[in-house]
Amino acid sequence: MRKALSTLWDGRGFDLLLVGIPLIFLIAISGSALVYNVIMSFQEVDIFSLGTFFRPFVGLDNYIAVLTDPQAWPIFGNTLIFVLCSLGGQFLFGFFLALFFNMQFPGSTYLRGLFLVSWVMPGLVTGAIWNWLLAGDFGVINFFLQSIGVIDDPIFWRSSPDFALWSVIITNIWFGTAFNMILLSVGLAAIPKDLYEAASLDGANAFRRFYTITLPMMRPTIGALLSLGLIFTLQQFDLFAAITDGGPNNSSNVAQYWAWQLSFREYDFARGATVSVLMITLVIIAAVFYVRSTRHEVRG
Amino acid sequence: MNRAKLMLCVSAAALSLGTAVPTLAQEPVTLNIWTVDKTGQPTPDLAREFDESEPNIDVVYREVNFADLMSEAMRAYSVGRAPDIFAVDNPDTAMLAANGALLDLTDMIEQSDIINVDEYFEGPMASATWDGRIYGVPKATNTIALYYNKDMLEEAGIDEPPKTWDELIEDARILNDPENDVYGVAFSAKASEEGTFQFLPFVQMAGGSYDNINGEGGVEALTFFKTLLDEGLASPDTVSRTQWASTATFNAGNAAMAISGPWEINRTADEAEFDWGVSLLPIPSEDAQRSSAMGDYNWVIFSSTKHPEEAFKALEFFAEQDKDLFERFGQIPARNDIEIPPTGNEAKDEALQVFLEQMQYAQPRGPHPEWPKISKAIQTALQSALAGSQTPQQALDQAQAQIDKITGK
Repeated sequence: MRKALSTLWDGRGFDLLLVGIPLIFLIAISGSALVYNVIMSFQEVDIFSLGTFFRPFVGLDNYIAVLTDPQAWPIFGNTLIFVLCSLGGQFLFGFFLALFFNMQFPGSTYLRGLFLVSWVMPGLVTGAIWNWLLAGDFGVINFFLQSIGVIDDPIFWRSSPDFALWSVIITNIWFGTAFNMILLSVGLAAIPKDLYEAASLDGANAFRRFYTITLPMMRPTIGALLSLGLIFTLQQFDLFAAITDGGPNNSSNVAQYWAWQLSFREYDFARGATVSVLMITLVIIAAVFYVRSTRHEVRG
Repeated sequence: MNRAKLMLCVSAAALSLGTAVPTLAQEPVTLNIWTVDKTGQPTPDLAREFDESEPNIDVVYREVNFADLMSEAMRAYSVGRAPDIFAVDNPDTAMLAANGALLDLTDMIEQSDIINVDEYFEGPMASATWDGRIYGVPKATNTIALYYNKDMLEEAGIDEPPKTWDELIEDARILNDPENDVYGVAFSAKASEEGTFQFLPFVQMAGGSYDNINGEGGVEALTFFKTLLDEGLASPDTVSRTQWASTATFNAGNAAMAISGPWEINRTADEAEFDWGVSLLPIPSEDAQRSSAMGDYNWVIFSSTKHPEEAFKALEFFAEQDKDLFERFGQIPARNDIEIPPTGNEAKDEALQVFLEQMQYAQPRGPHPEWPKISKAIQTALQSALAGSQTPQQALDQAQAQIDKITGK
């Protein structure tokens, strides 16, 4: 017994303790909410039974109701477009900027720091600013596009079904690029410089060096970044609330915003929970990718 | 023990009892009041004044965000910690009443010397009534009417604001001036309760209602809205803009007319650099019945309260202050017996009179316990027709099917 106890501060028991404490926290804080959410998706819940735990069990009714809702597939489609385009845009701009600042010209670190402004701002503030930039009648972006002659008539970014989703995507790319840039910069900085030197001596040009050294060495960073990006993008809520409210006519509605609308606008908490359970499934898949990509991380 | 000592004991006991009894009775009752009101709006001040006027009642006030109002209150109610008094957005009253969450005030109001049902506007009172019983007291009220830019109308040679829908479209065509960034009219058709609030009165004027939305009236109203957008007489942003934001374009001179409420009177008076007026909402034809939206809150008492009498006393106190509601807080009391004194600003006073007249036609949304879902169906129809993906008839048919499912028809 004494021996077993003594391992608590020296040996295997200590390791278990280190793992156990955060695990308990995780289960208590995130796990219980997650389980509660899953249970709720199989129950009939309205605003009056919200506080009780024992509610009528309805089996898969909520899932059927959500999946047969005529709004569902357009919304899931929007979610897919939103996630893929935001993720792609953030990553490409982030990578470009990271490579650019990696050239280490005078003042590059300070300039790079300035880019973080967008990441630091609360989503609602970002949304409010972009709302103003994207406004149809008197927006700055329309004014700019019109004065350089790209468009003749103002585009109603937030009110046209063709553009509403894109106005949120553009804002979200602006929002997330800085974060991508910083993580990718860290990844770039970790690549040993002598690799490039050796490659240059062997006569590899810039493209080849990028393709055979930078990309493979960045693989774990990129994997982690894309998985995190997926999670952040699926979480993005503020911008929808601030810019389009999912409208017009659901043309910019996405699953996460729909879940909120169901729960807190129509007080149908069960269906709100159902939509979020469907999303959690997706995020768990992303999390598995994330964990796998960090497992391959090169230790310095 | 001698007699004197005994007397002393008895009187001491009596004395201690005498002091003990009143303290027991004076144990102050605590009333919890939740509303959305911020500093400068009625409740914080009224609650404090009530607290001060009643030594036996302690009032604890809590401000709740509009977006969280219902979910917060219901969470509290379901775990038995609901406030005693709450101000509920009027279309949500039925939902609470139908589920037994509210105290039935009918008998208390009947016996009250202060609250008199006949002194309230019909619409607000109807929103506080469910199944023939009264569950709330209207806290204030508001509605919508047509703001117009007198200077612009005069310049365009239009003598008076439009009275019918056709006149409104005609005038809007004349006033519309894209060269100078001026739209004919501004309103909100946003996919939220605001959209329903602005659209439903037009349905009602044309003879429709929320449970008969795809009839001729509903289609006529939606076609009217659609004409304004399709012809570019109103900004395409109408579908995504709040009432507040759309009225701002009127105040800035970028719209010749605007459909908005009395909550804008003060702002327009401050911001508008032109002569402005307010007129009744145009009707579909000269002889059509009028209708208007009805906003604001109802005071309700949760059925879980331990102090129904004290809570009702508070409602009586609030109702008594209705006479100063406009003067002190710029809100319109939901009463037909109150003469609001002039403010001295001519435009404001005239506007107020129009809103008071319009108030008589105000109809509550619902009442129905599933109002939020019904409203969502209406918003979806409004948006899909205005965005052009469906004709008004198709959009409203779909809404009707959904509403029928909700109301169980």
